[in-house]
Amino acid sequence: MKDSNLNIVETHSTEPVNENLVVERVFEIDQSCRQVVLLWYASAVFWLLAGSLLALIASVKMHSPGFLAGAEWLTFGRVRPAHLNTMIYGWASMSGIGTTLWLLARLTKQRLVWREALYLVAIYWNALVAIGTIAILTGHSTSVEWLEFPWWSSIPIAVGFFVINIVTFKMLATRKVDHLYISLWYLFGATIWFPFLYLGGTLLIHFRLAEGMSMMTANWWFAHNVLGLWLTPIGLASAYYLIPKVIGRPVHSYYLSILGFWTLAIFYNWAGTHHLIGGPVPAWVVTVGVVGSMMMFVPVITVAINHHMTMIGHFRKLAISPTLRFTVFGAMSYTMVSIQGSLTALRTVNETTHFTHYTIAHSHLGVYSFYTMIAFGAMYYVMPRLVEREWISSKLIVTHFWCVAIGMAMYWIGLSWGGIEQGLMMNDPDIPFLDIVKRMVPYLYSRSIAGTLMTIGHVAFAILVWKMLRREGEWLTGPTLFRKTPVAEETLTVEESLTQSVSK
Amino acid sequence: MTATFISIWIFAFALGGTAIGALIWAVKSGQFQDINEGARVIFDEDEPEGVVNDRFPSKGTQMNETSAP
Repeated sequence: MKDSNLNIVETHSTEPVNENLVVERVFEIDQSCRQVVLLWYASAVFWLLAGSLLALIASVKMHSPGFLAGAEWLTFGRVRPAHLNTMIYGWASMSGIGTTLWLLARLTKQRLVWREALYLVAIYWNALVAIGTIAILTGHSTSVEWLEFPWWSSIPIAVGFFVINIVTFKMLATRKVDHLYISLWYLFGATIWFPFLYLGGTLLIHFRLAEGMSMMTANWWFAHNVLGLWLTPIGLASAYYLIPKVIGRPVHSYYLSILGFWTLAIFYNWAGTHHLIGGPVPAWVVTVGVVGSMMMFVPVITVAINHHMTMIGHFRKLAISPTLRFTVFGAMSYTMVSIQGSLTALRTVNETTHFTHYTIAHSHLGVYSFYTMIAFGAMYYVMPRLVEREWISSKLIVTHFWCVAIGMAMYWIGLSWGGIEQGLMMNDPDIPFLDIVKRMVPYLYSRSIAGTLMTIGHVAFAILVWKMLRREGEWLTGPTLFRKTPVAEETLTVEESLTQSVSK
Repeated sequence: MTATFISIWIFAFALGGTAIGALIWAVKSGQFQDINEGARVIFDEDEPEGVVNDRFPSKGTQMNETSAP
């Protein structure tokens, strides 16, 4: 086994394998992340399932208002924000932090620091998201979108963000490489800026430092930055690492990737006020947001060119790598959602699309089709390397991919189309409002069907993760052969025969 | 209200300052020198350039076959 693996390596690399280096990376660096990252990931998957359930309830209520109408804690006004917050602070943030910690360790080439603390923070974070979600369902929501958790759940989460912030600084200070790979820049952007944005946003909203329209301005400045300076950099860091890594080819233009990071850092945090187009705020406040949104074309096009040019000639590898398939789907969606977002920020377009289902389709294209798909891709890559087992079933991975890909496409097409119709009808004063409501029903059904498909995909993924955590897969072999030393290899054969006999 | 505005301004400048500081540091410490080599830091001898290192866990793929015990 060892020989054949060495052959593969030698055909592609002129230098002999440095065994110490391999052992260091696998046993010191990857394994130092094991418990911590797995806990963050497992929690994320739990919230993904919880959030999907809440989403389905909310979606069905849109076309069948009588559904579960008897229980006040399951009314639309509570289920929908509960869905949003479990997905953002539960699923997206926790999976993102898991990937961030692993990438930090790998890219700074050192063991993860503060492992016990990070483990405890994951438990603390779960508790706060659970308390916050229950608070929303029992009617204690703040009704400020993206910050619905009451202050006693929302503000303590900032402590978690700051622990991640300090860990990042520590990893940066003690790093064992001089060069900061582009993914690290994105991760630093996320972990160094976002905790402050989060603290600023929560304090402004919860302590009523900003009221009325200034509260809404703070609200959308914050909410857009959750995507722009938290989820987007983590997603892009992951894509910038995984696409070149999986196909074994450096990024097409490293120069463009750095230009993309700095332009994102400069422009993205201005974009939030485009949510207030048509609102009673000074025109310049909105204009700033519109200009910021249009300037986003620069980082988006650099990323799009870069990922596309890196992938050119390698598209066939989408068939053999689950990580690549999810990550490239996410990267392509990033281009789409950003271009769509910039165009939607134009006042002329917004006139039609504002307050319609089109916006919902757009936000799901961002947080789901872009961020979540990349998070799936990263988890497919990272978890086998931490647990040292293969994923249990290709069929489940394929099921997961096609369910969420088709579900997402259906969701986006249905609601975007429906939303444009809705917008055009609402702008026509001759059309009675009830006609518009009736016209939207088929689109809302398509959303529930799409949501069901995505949930089926999530269940397939949850089964895979569960089996992975139970170590039911085969020992990991192949091009990344984790056990190199002869002693370790013996244990591998013994263990492998054991698992095989068990499975028989 | 004045206190709020002052703290917002301090906050904004402090955060913007980190970005400018980071950029200056990056230029001074040579992060942007030899820029294309930077793209290669993610590869090492065990996971080298030119090798696909992720695949579906099915038995039939070529990667598994060449390295199967």
